[in-house]
Amino acid sequence: MKNIFIITKREFLTQVKKKSFIILTLLAPILLIGFGALIAFMLKANETEYTFNVIDKSGVFQQNMKTPKDVKFIYLPESTEQALTTTLPEMVDNVDGLLIIPKLQDQNFENLQKQTQLLVNKNIGFDVKQNIAFSMSEVIKIEKIKNLGLTEAQIENIDKNFEINTKNVVDNNKQDSTLAFGVKSGLSMGLMYVTFMFIIIYGVRVMRSVLEEKNNRVVEIIISSVKPFELMMGKILGVTMVALTQFAIWITMTILGAIFFNQGFSKISGNLPQQEEIPLDKLDIQGVFTEISHSLLDMNFGIIIFVFIVFFLLGYIFYSSMYAAIGSAVDNETETQQFTMIGILPLMLGMYGSFGLINNPEGPMAFWLSIIPLTSPVAMIARIPFGVPIWQIALSIFLLVISTLGMVYLAAKIYRVGILMYGNKATFKELWKWIRTS
Amino acid sequence: MLQANHVTKIYSAGKKIALQDFSIHVPKASVYGLLGPNGAGKTTFIRIINQITQADSGEVFINGEKLNPHHIKDIGYMPEERGLYKNMTVGDQILYFGALKGMKKQDALSQAKYWFDRLEIDHWWNKKLSELSKGMAQKIQFVVTVLHQPKLLILDEPFSGFDPVNANLVKDQILQLKEQGTTIILSTHRMESVEELCDSVALINKSRKILDGKVFEVREKFKQNLFSVVLSDVNSENLEMLKNQYKLVNIHDQHGLISFDLNYNEDQNLLLNDLMKAGKIRSFDEKIPSMNEVFITAVTSMNGQ
Repeated sequence: MKNIFIITKREFLTQVKKKSFIILTLLAPILLIGFGALIAFMLKANETEYTFNVIDKSGVFQQNMKTPKDVKFIYLPESTEQALTTTLPEMVDNVDGLLIIPKLQDQNFENLQKQTQLLVNKNIGFDVKQNIAFSMSEVIKIEKIKNLGLTEAQIENIDKNFEINTKNVVDNNKQDSTLAFGVKSGLSMGLMYVTFMFIIIYGVRVMRSVLEEKNNRVVEIIISSVKPFELMMGKILGVTMVALTQFAIWITMTILGAIFFNQGFSKISGNLPQQEEIPLDKLDIQGVFTEISHSLLDMNFGIIIFVFIVFFLLGYIFYSSMYAAIGSAVDNETETQQFTMIGILPLMLGMYGSFGLINNPEGPMAFWLSIIPLTSPVAMIARIPFGVPIWQIALSIFLLVISTLGMVYLAAKIYRVGILMYGNKATFKELWKWIRTS
Repeated sequence: MLQANHVTKIYSAGKKIALQDFSIHVPKASVYGLLGPNGAGKTTFIRIINQITQADSGEVFINGEKLNPHHIKDIGYMPEERGLYKNMTVGDQILYFGALKGMKKQDALSQAKYWFDRLEIDHWWNKKLSELSKGMAQKIQFVVTVLHQPKLLILDEPFSGFDPVNANLVKDQILQLKEQGTTIILSTHRMESVEELCDSVALINKSRKILDGKVFEVREKFKQNLFSVVLSDVNSENLEMLKNQYKLVNIHDQHGLISFDLNYNEDQNLLLNDLMKAGKIRSFDEKIPSMNEVFITAVTSMNGQ
């Protein structure tokens, strides 16, 4: 067994010394943020402000219509209608369109809507049109309500947000507010995605390492010194250590980043004078962060971390041994694809199923996906922020441990035969033969 | 040193017999040749000794002890298909393989230094294997095999891929190791090296042993009583008599020297007498078959049966 440690050490050092590891680990978070910023910048840069000339013959809209996002209205008198219409095609650079609202006759809003015209000299996009239509319909709605005899203030009162206070009588917990729910979903998806990506990326590394040893023929010398099982496990554990190291570095970077940003942010908010309102969609930032941290603390962090680590490790070992077996069965990377595709399917099923899990954390799909060993590594991790009964966690872990041991056993059999075999057309039939005779 | 008794290995549930009832005795501190055509079963046997595969029946003993895991550190193995990690440095690899064979780092370092001096490879410790030429890589391969001072060295086609200079170098090292007490099993189908190196051989064909013994004895066994003679100052008349009496073949005349071969299995002194009547005997050799000839004869006759 000491040999496993020697092999693990070699595998770990080889991968960690690679330039690609260092670059990926340190740069990836920066790249991710940079990429996100780039996308945001692109979207922002893409925002165009549209300018429309408006002729409001009804007189209702000019005072009351809220200007939609990215739109500028220039109200002009009725007399200019003819001129504006004629010059519209040439004015491509200055004006994007002409909105002509007819007179309102006998409070007939239907007719008003039918006769309103929006002339455009370019393709203005679906969103803008919808926004203008929405703004107009809002005005009409208020006018109709006014006709029923209500004041502005009374009208505002009608449209208040309704939030239900839910209380779980079985669980004795307060049910989630929208924000808390958002936090939980975010954490759930985040952890699940990380698990999924790590299993695939590092599983593939194990496979490549196996292939490398097969292709440069070093494997026969090694297995004259150690058992194939020791070689396979050493490899899997070595790559596991690489994954954990990378993970640890990223967590440290995130925590440091969070502390740094938090300090920076509190400095900024401390410097602002009390009266100034921060114009951010009327959200109370302090309140938001408080609620986020409350819901984070509410969640049983101990269980979440425990589940994450256990399921991640078990799922990783399960799939890595599968990858090791695949790598040993073929001679080059192209041949691996037929097997890897099938192997990944359960994991993907778990991942996509998990998206539905958010809305129904205690439903049948959530239950089965987080219990069945093939999908449980991702599904249980996705489910845990919403709280899972202890017995289910225990059952799932039990099943996953058994399956992992089984997979390691099968993979070892395939590995033992495969690493010395070259030129064999690897099919499932072949693999089954190897398992039986190994 | 190594004793194999009735070793059998069958693959694919009986469809392929790799080794059948194979028994050999390898004396200590000798070079033992394991000969045979491709697919005969040599590599199977070697893998059994290395505990890479297990025999289905039969036993192998090393120094009287039944084959078991602690023998691994006593055996050095250079497989036929060989290679090393391309992106690891020479030093790291040597230490790694040494560690796998149970060597302490200090011992590995001193042994490595010893071999680097012997094979004249300095300055390579920190070089990646991909930076070395093929010949250099082969030397490193050899060092990795012998680093842990194994009592039993198993070399499968050791000279394949070696240029003549390096092949010679390895040959010298093998002989030196033998002097120092190492037992060496050499598996090959290149017969020239067998005659130069091996003390004893076993010949395998189609999963069975067809002969074994000391090289000298084996060759003797296969001799066909062929003699090569060169005569000078030849008496033509008597030569004609000789031709008829002994059925001479391959008769050549080079500047007055007559050479020929003949088949004879009775008292050589009588033959010599007759030869002297025909001329002066310049040379008289019994043609002992080379291992190459032995190999071909043994295999083809077995296949013919």
